[in-house]
Amino acid sequence: MSDSRAIDARGVAKTFGEDELAVHALRGVDLQVERGEFIMLVGPSGSGKTTLLSIIGCVLSPTAGEVAIMGERVNDLAERELSALRRAHIGFIFQGYNLIDALSARDNVALGLRIRGVDRAGADAEAASALERVGLTARAKNKPSQLSGGEMQRVAIARALAGRPPLVLADEPTASLDAASGQWVTEMLREISEEQGATVLVVTHDARIFELAQRIVRIEDGAIQEQERAGRAQ
Amino acid sequence: MTDARTDPGSRAAPRYRAEYRERRGAMVTVGLRMMLHDKFKFAGTVFGVVFAVVLSVQQLGILFGLLAKNTMFVDSADADIWIVPPETELFQAGQLIPESALHEARVTPGVDGAAPLVVTGADVLRPEGGSEAITLIGAAAPYDLGGPWNIVAGERSALAQPDTMFFEYSQRHSLGGLTMASEPEVSGRQVRVGGFTWGLQAFAPSYAFADLDLAREIADLPEAKIHFGLARVSEGHDPDAVAADLARRLPNVEVRTADEYSSSIVRSLLFNQLGITFGTSTAFGLIVGIVIVALTMFSAVIDNLRQFGTLKALGCENRDLTSLVLVQAVAYGLVGSFVGLGVVAWLAELIRAPQLGVVIPAWLVLLTPVVMVGLCMLASTLALGRIRRLEPGMVFR
Repeated sequence: MSDSRAIDARGVAKTFGEDELAVHALRGVDLQVERGEFIMLVGPSGSGKTTLLSIIGCVLSPTAGEVAIMGERVNDLAERELSALRRAHIGFIFQGYNLIDALSARDNVALGLRIRGVDRAGADAEAASALERVGLTARAKNKPSQLSGGEMQRVAIARALAGRPPLVLADEPTASLDAASGQWVTEMLREISEEQGATVLVVTHDARIFELAQRIVRIEDGAIQEQERAGRAQ
Repeated sequence: MTDARTDPGSRAAPRYRAEYRERRGAMVTVGLRMMLHDKFKFAGTVFGVVFAVVLSVQQLGILFGLLAKNTMFVDSADADIWIVPPETELFQAGQLIPESALHEARVTPGVDGAAPLVVTGADVLRPEGGSEAITLIGAAAPYDLGGPWNIVAGERSALAQPDTMFFEYSQRHSLGGLTMASEPEVSGRQVRVGGFTWGLQAFAPSYAFADLDLAREIADLPEAKIHFGLARVSEGHDPDAVAADLARRLPNVEVRTADEYSSSIVRSLLFNQLGITFGTSTAFGLIVGIVIVALTMFSAVIDNLRQFGTLKALGCENRDLTSLVLVQAVAYGLVGSFVGLGVVAWLAELIRAPQLGVVIPAWLVLLTPVVMVGLCMLASTLALGRIRRLEPGMVFR
């Protein structure tokens, strides 16, 4: 396995359930992603793309195969070690935003930093800067219930990118947004990842944003069917 | 790689510990904000703690009040040593003992003085018909040992006047509308009101005081017999040592210090009468309150499962989330305790009566938040168990 790759997954399989109830979500997936790549994982519902994203995000263990994240093999790590790895290397963007309802936009972003060990003052300053970057300074004190879907996703992006994680995993970040907001969010993600040099893996079935990817990986029935260079990178 | 981050013995450990402190600080903030965010759940959980505090502390307060009522005579009679009939458990009329025990007491080294006391039941005839029971106390002049206290009208020395008695002011109406000018009939003997006390009533009918001879006459008690002997110890002498010496001299009666006698009354009431009743209701209050707390905290976790999953996905460890929930448990315990103690204080004032005082000692006030915080932490284990089993992968489902 290469130390230089952001993601190195080989022969990854995931089966849920047992015997006749077994569901084979992934069947021997190989995926290598270089550092700094902006890649989209696409496929129909139930194809296994979110399962693969969960395994790469170290929140789900594979049934078989090997996974290395930023050069570190993760298969045998204990739960606490996986938590440390997520803190050090991975930023998450979720389809449902997954902001903490009780916290303001700024505190949600700062929370991601404080979980990584940044002190309160540093986290607050960096959160303010991240919100400015996504154009939400004026909404910094608003709670998620006071924000639109697009604004919540921008807060989630700010949370994921604050602290400059080398790997950002986004699960259907545009699924709940209108076309304009989806395009805007993806472009912002792309721009910020380029600025920070982060590797970004976006799971999506939103064809409107495919053109923004450097590479598109198509997955179907738990296996990678096709990989193609696409969009602006070409 | 990860050993260096998570192994406390590694060189990276100081940095890891510093990061952990930051995370823990963040968890405190998030825990409190989440707790206050859902105001209905917050109110419900606090209600559970308040319920437990009110029911248990009030029950204990009433229990302590009843115990205090039953020991108040022993505690207030100004005697250091009590000479009582064998196997005496409570302060009430029982076997008679020879008055000669007092002679022995008076010549015992360290005894400053000794006085007799008789306790008997009597009836006050009401002008409109019927009668009301009293607990008649007969004390000897100058009535400083076993005489009336909490006097709200009259002078104690008035008992020395012929046929004069003190009655309980709060019972004056049920005793036939007594005033300082009244001349009620007590068990067939007409007496005069010499004064009133306030709040001198235990389980039995209210105390009424008379001179020893008058009490003997009213109750038809034999001469040279008493129910109790009261002794005062000279300054500089140890009551325990004097009581032990006196006990050796009086083998046919029991000699107890006032503290011992008071404690024995408490023990007798707790183990034979009040303990199970009040213990059950107190435990019931605590259990119901804590079940409410456990269920509402668990329900809050279920409602926010996705947010807890998000925190795990972002890198929080189980112990971080344990801190978050325990902070909430501590906050619920403290807020509920303070509100509950306030409610108890208000109720205590509301139900305060001469027959019943709610006694809440300072140690109970201090202990309540400690116990409630402990119980809330215990109650949070249900919620903690769910969080610990939570897989961070659920955030993608």
